[in-house]
Amino acid sequence: MSPTASWMLEQGMAQLGSIVGPENTELLGETTVAAPGDTQQIAEILRFAQANRLAVTPTGGGTKLGWGNPVAPDIQLRLARLNALHEHAWQDLTCTVEAGCTWTTMRCELARHGQMVALDPLWPDRATVGGIVASNDSGALRLKFGGLRDLIIGMTIVLADGTIAKTGGKVVKNVAGYDLHKLMTGSFGTLGVITEVNFRLHPVEEHARTWTVIAHGDTRPVAASFAAPLRALMDSQITPSCVQLRTSQQECALDIRIAAVPECFDEYAVRIQNLFDEFAVTESSEAVWQARQQLFNMHDAVVLKVALLPSIICAISSELQEIAFTEGLGIAAVAQANGLMTIALNSAPDAAIVLIERLRARVAGFGGSLIVLQITDPLRGRLNVWGPDPGPVPLMCEIKRRFDPVHTLNPGRFVGNI
Amino acid sequence: MLPTRFIVELRTAVGKDGLITGESQLQTYECDGLTNFRVLPGAVVLPRTAEQVQAVVRLCARHKIPFVSRGAGTGLSGGALPAAGGIVISLARMNRILEVDIANRFVVVEPGVINAHVTQHVAPQGYFYAPDPSSQSVCTIGGNVAENSGGAHCLKYGFTVTHVLALDVVMPSGELVQFGSPTLDAPGYDLPGVFVGSEGTLGVATRITLRIVKRPEVVQTLLAAFDSVQAAGQTVSDIIAAGMLPSAMEIMDALSIQAAEAAVQAHYPVCKGLLLVELDGSYSEVEALMREVQALCSNNGAWEIRVAQSEHERALVWKGRKAAFAAVGRISPNYIVQDGVIPRTALPHLLTEIDRMASAAGLRVANVFHAGDGNLHPLVLYDAAIAGQEELALDLSYRILRLCVDNGGSITGEHGVGKEKQEMLGYMFSEPDLETMQLVRCAFDPENLANPDKVFPRPRLCAEKPGPYVPHPLETAGIAEIF
Repeated sequence: MSPTASWMLEQGMAQLGSIVGPENTELLGETTVAAPGDTQQIAEILRFAQANRLAVTPTGGGTKLGWGNPVAPDIQLRLARLNALHEHAWQDLTCTVEAGCTWTTMRCELARHGQMVALDPLWPDRATVGGIVASNDSGALRLKFGGLRDLIIGMTIVLADGTIAKTGGKVVKNVAGYDLHKLMTGSFGTLGVITEVNFRLHPVEEHARTWTVIAHGDTRPVAASFAAPLRALMDSQITPSCVQLRTSQQECALDIRIAAVPECFDEYAVRIQNLFDEFAVTESSEAVWQARQQLFNMHDAVVLKVALLPSIICAISSELQEIAFTEGLGIAAVAQANGLMTIALNSAPDAAIVLIERLRARVAGFGGSLIVLQITDPLRGRLNVWGPDPGPVPLMCEIKRRFDPVHTLNPGRFVGNI
Repeated sequence: MLPTRFIVELRTAVGKDGLITGESQLQTYECDGLTNFRVLPGAVVLPRTAEQVQAVVRLCARHKIPFVSRGAGTGLSGGALPAAGGIVISLARMNRILEVDIANRFVVVEPGVINAHVTQHVAPQGYFYAPDPSSQSVCTIGGNVAENSGGAHCLKYGFTVTHVLALDVVMPSGELVQFGSPTLDAPGYDLPGVFVGSEGTLGVATRITLRIVKRPEVVQTLLAAFDSVQAAGQTVSDIIAAGMLPSAMEIMDALSIQAAEAAVQAHYPVCKGLLLVELDGSYSEVEALMREVQALCSNNGAWEIRVAQSEHERALVWKGRKAAFAAVGRISPNYIVQDGVIPRTALPHLLTEIDRMASAAGLRVANVFHAGDGNLHPLVLYDAAIAGQEELALDLSYRILRLCVDNGGSITGEHGVGKEKQEMLGYMFSEPDLETMQLVRCAFDPENLANPDKVFPRPRLCAEKPGPYVPHPLETAGIAEIF
C-alpha cells in the first residue's frame, strides 16, 4: 500500500470511528469495517462515503457476499447491530424487523405466536433479513406463499446521499405511492441500504407432511418420467406448500409437502398415491427440504440459479442427468415446481463454461435466465455471472444513476455492471 | 388547444377512425368513476396496436404534450382524469387475449381486455384470474395494472401485482421495453413490481402476462348476522387468530345492507353488522374449517348463520356486496366512496370514531369493508342540493383517511391516489419519502408527460441532484420549486 493510501485509510478509520465509535470499526485488509448502531449513523457513513467517492458494501451475515460481480469496497457496512424485532402485531399478522436480525432469530420470536414470514431462505441461522431481501433469496415455500415481493409490505432505506426514506407501510393492503420496496428487493444493495423491513405474516403450518416419490426398480431413474404425473398434481385440487424435484446421476426423487387440517392427510396420501401410481411413494422427513442448501456444500461446485417455465423442469432435469452420464460431469439439481432450479456443477472449468452457455441458450428461448451464484476460483473472471444484459438495462442504469449518482453502493456488483 | 400539426400527426399514427377531436365525443372522456373532477381532453386516440401506442407517445414526447392512458374509466380516484392541454390514450380497442399457457399457468393479454373475460377464457380448463375488483365485469386489465387493483379475494390470493409476471411497456420517451418474464426472478431490478400500481405515471402497458390460479374444488360462502359491526369485526380477528386464511371476509353495516337490499334483493338478514366469509379448497378441508368459522361466529353472538346452498345463492350474496357502492345511490342523492386501510385490530376504535365524526358533521356514513385486510370503504352520504353539504362531506371523508393514517394505516388500499388523494399522500409520507419516489418517476419520465399532476402532492421537476446543489433555471427565475 502506498503511503498516501495508508494515510487515507487511517483518516477513514478515524472518521468512521467518530460516527459509530472506534470499538465498532476494524480494518480488514484495505477495507474499513464499520458497524453502525442505528439508521442515523448509516446515513452519516453514506454521506461521508459519497462525499469522498468511497465504495460501500452493506453486509449482514456475509453468507452471500460472493454472489454477483466482485466488489472491492472501501467500507464494509456491517448491519449486525441493527438486529431487533421491533414489532410483532400478531393480531394484524405483521411485523417490523431490523435488517441485521438473523432469519432464525426472527423466526423463533414470531413462532411464539404461531406465526412466520412464509419463506425458507438459505443458511437461516447466519443470514440476515437485509441480506436475504437484497439478494431476493427464496426456497421451496415460495410455491404456496410467493416470494419476498409478496411478503414485504414496507421498508426503511437509506440512500447513498444519506436520505432516510420509508416506503409502503404496516398494512397488507396499500397502494399509496410507488412500491419502492419492490425495487429494493433483489437489488443487491445497489440502490440503498435496507435498515428495516415490514413483513406480512402467515400462521405457522402446524400440521404438515412430506411424501417422496421415486421410480420403481433398479434402472437409472429418468426425471422426464415425472413430467406427466407432476403436471397432474399441479392441476389437481391438492395445494402443496412445496414441491421439488431432486436429480443427480444416481437419484431422482420428487418431494411433496402438504399442510392441512389433520383429518385430511389420509385422503391426500391416497390422492398422491393415485397420481403417482407407477411410482413408489413413501412418507419422508422434513430434512429433504434441505436439499437446495446442500448443493452449495458440494466440494468445488459452481452453483447456478436457473429460472425455467414450470412445465419443463422435468425435461431439463433429464437433460442434465444425460449430460452428467455421458460426459462424466458431477451435476446435482433441485428444481421447484414454480420453475426455479438450483444446479451444482462440479467439472473442469471449460466444461462448466460450455454447459452454462448451452443452458443459457436453451432457456433464452422462453424468457428464462441463468445466473451463477457460487463461483470457483478457476472460473472467476471467465464467466459473466449475470448472463447477457436484459432489455431494460438502460432503464435500470438510469434508476441507479438517480438513486446513487456516484456509484457509492456496491459499484459494479449487479446486472449490467450496475 | 393542441397544435394543429400534432393533431395531423396523431391522425397519421392511429388512422382517422382512431382519433376523436369533436367536443361532444370528447366529453365521454372528461372524467372517470370519480365524477366531481372533470377536464376536457384536447384529443382522444384509440390505438389498436403497441406500435400505434408507441407512435402516439413519441409524438407526445416530441411536442411535450402530456398523455393519460385509460381503460374502461371505472377508477374511483381520478387516475384517468385528462391532463389539461393533453390527450387521452384509450386502450379499449386493444382487447385481445394473445396467449394461454395452462401448463405454465399464465395468459398474455392486451391492456383493454376486461378483467372478468380472463377468467371466462380459462375457466373451461379449471383456472381463474384471482384479482376481482367490484367492477370486474367492465374494468380492464390495463387499468387494474395501473391501480394495482385488489378486490374481495385478495386476502388469500394477493393483488394485481402478485399476478403480473411480465409487461411490455411504452416508456414516456416512446421506447418499447419488456419488464419481467414468464419465468420467475428475471435478473435486474423488479420493474414489474414498481410499474404495477404506478397509476399511469411511468408509461403505458401494451401487453401483460398474468398468472392464473387453479380453481378450488369447492367454494363455500357463509353469512352471519350480528348486533354490531364490532362483533362482526371481532369474529374476523378470531378467525385470523385461529390460523385460518379464508379467501374473503367482508363486513357490511346496517346502512349498506339496506342499500344493497334495495338494489339487488340479496336477501341479507336485517342486522347491524353482516359478516360474509368465503372459504375455498378441497371438500374435506373446507368442511372442517367451515365448522370452526361457524363456532367462532356463534361465540361472538351471531344470531343467524347461513351457508349459501347453491351457486345461485352464492352469486346473489356477492352481487349484493359488489353492488353496495352503486346501491347507496338509492338511499342518498350523493355520496363519496373512500378507501382507507387500517391494521385490523384498530377496527373497533376506528368505527366508533367514524360514527362520532359523522354525527358531529350531521352526515351519515355507510360502511362496507374488506375486513380481512382492514380495507374500509366508508361511504359518506350527502345531498349536493343542500348548500355547503358537499364540502362538509369531502372534509369528513378526508378526515376519515387521516384517522386511518394516524392509526398506522394507509389512505388507499385499492382505489389509488390519483387526483383525489394527492394532498393526502403528503400526510402519509414525509418529504424524503416522496423525494425518493420521485427519483423513480424521473428515471422513467424526466419530462413529466405520463399522467402528470397525479399521485404526488405538488408539481415537481426532475432536477439533477448529484454533486453540489445547482439551482434549476426555473427555480432561479422564481417560477418553480425543485424538490
